[in-house]
Amino acid sequence: MESSTEAYLLLLLSDGNLPTGSFVASSGLESLVKHGHFSRSWNERDATINFIRDSLQSNAHSTLPFISHAHGIVTGYLSGEGTLESALDEIKRVEALYESMTLNHVTRRASKAQGVALLTLFSKGFAQPSWVTTLQPESAKERRPEEVVDAFKTMVRRGDTHGHLPTCWAVLTASLGLSLSRSQHLHLFLHARAVLSASIRLNTMGPYAAQQLLLHVVRPLVDATLAECQDLRIPPHFDKPTNEDDDGPATTWPLGEILAARHDLQHSRIFNS
Amino acid sequence: MPHATGPARGKGRAVLRKSGNEASFSELSYSYPLKLLSPQGASDAPVAIAYMMSYGGGLVSGDQVELDVDVGAGTSLLLLTQGSTKVFKSRQSAYLTPPLSPTLDGKAPSPEDKETRTAATTQKINFTISPDALLLLLPDPVTCFRDSSYSQLQTFHLEPGASAAILDWFTSGRMSRGEQWDFERYRSANEVFLDGKRIMRDVMLLESAPPDASLLFLPPRTLKDRLGPYACYATLLLVGPKVQDLIASLEKAYQSIHVFQQSEPLPLVWSMSALEESSGAVVRVAALETDMVRTWLRQSLQGLSDLVGDFVYEKAFV
Repeated sequence: MESSTEAYLLLLLSDGNLPTGSFVASSGLESLVKHGHFSRSWNERDATINFIRDSLQSNAHSTLPFISHAHGIVTGYLSGEGTLESALDEIKRVEALYESMTLNHVTRRASKAQGVALLTLFSKGFAQPSWVTTLQPESAKERRPEEVVDAFKTMVRRGDTHGHLPTCWAVLTASLGLSLSRSQHLHLFLHARAVLSASIRLNTMGPYAAQQLLLHVVRPLVDATLAECQDLRIPPHFDKPTNEDDDGPATTWPLGEILAARHDLQHSRIFNS
Repeated sequence: MPHATGPARGKGRAVLRKSGNEASFSELSYSYPLKLLSPQGASDAPVAIAYMMSYGGGLVSGDQVELDVDVGAGTSLLLLTQGSTKVFKSRQSAYLTPPLSPTLDGKAPSPEDKETRTAATTQKINFTISPDALLLLLPDPVTCFRDSSYSQLQTFHLEPGASAAILDWFTSGRMSRGEQWDFERYRSANEVFLDGKRIMRDVMLLESAPPDASLLFLPPRTLKDRLGPYACYATLLLVGPKVQDLIASLEKAYQSIHVFQQSEPLPLVWSMSALEESSGAVVRVAALETDMVRTWLRQSLQGLSDLVGDFVYEKAFV
């Protein structure tokens, strides 16, 4: 993909107003604050940075292996490998693994809500309209990304598969032709930015301070996390018992896991997760 | 102290079968450094207890233990340890590290020549649980000492109608020596298959991260920073018809919790999530002290004594 096209896509995808459901998700931040864990830091800025670090690392370990695998499936199909049926079947198996590894119901719920929102976003906001195709006949390829997304969306609607955020993100970005490394990077950036948006809503951080963190702190944090986790993959032959120590997806922050799962126990709350 | 002869590979196998109204081991074999013991029970039900131990009370780096456990139809097995599983960093690994002297071809050694990672201590257990059988895996926690590396892989194959309560927990280290989250790596994977379908795969991975050069303006984020103030974490996986009453009672207790704004972290927190596609649940617990988790578990899982009898259940969480 041309770098100018990629840059333009990144502009569109990083729009904070996209209806992707991230504005109702705090990724466990609201519950963590409610459980008194911010009182352990000197100030709320440090506490927020610590949360972003822990949450980014945990998110990267549990989602990047799935994003990488699903991105590879869609990219492979669009470049002529296999059939649509086999690609969708493998995405379904990847989703089954993600479901079996995401043992926290609050995270599962948020993941499905945001995943489906991404698929809808593609169909309604990113798919090429038919009248554009007629003006640009060279783009009428044999294998159209719209086909992949539509077929996957139908499977999710039917309840054949889950429609989890990492897989849907991979399907969306691969369908748009975004490279895997861009897709991984943007995923982590959006996660960190969503946490900052949540902290503004929770009044643990002001909007200017959040912007400052985004530029000067989140950038190196995202880069460091990416360097640590970009090569993680789901285990080979993952349909069978994976009785080996591997570099696959894992839970790296059990405290965050417990507090995120306790989200619904809060007496009052403003987020869904 | 653990044995002093270097890494060891131990294998074991336990096969529990029902005969009449009793359960007995048709096989109970093991080799160094693994040890399996089954006390003669005075139970009048098909229930057996087995202890999994290591000679010397600990495992050193490089030790490998592999165990197969077969819980036969209609039996119940309570599998325990005697005291926490202590994971040492082998003293010998210091000698095994190649010295940084020039290599034979006269070149200066590169940093890659130096083995910096501790050889992991690994424990692999495969469980097969037959219809109408129950596995209660209620060991003591794993305690990883300073600079140790531990990897545990447990696979559970449940046939339709089988049940299991699987406890997996770890502490922050040898607190008496001031060690808190000072180990190098801890990885524990539990995979549960029901009738051949994977329903749970829980992989806990805790690694001490090297300080990142690009984050000089931020202090390194240590395991202690991420996991504190708690010193003990537990995961409990529940699946199958025999643990449904327990799931229901835990769910009731969990739903009655209301969290208001706390000024400091609670001494103990727990969470519960039900599976959506099969009848199982995941419970996670964290507390300031190991004994708080132990007491919570003993009380919360009391319902299991209805399944195996008080005499058997009271052997757990001592």
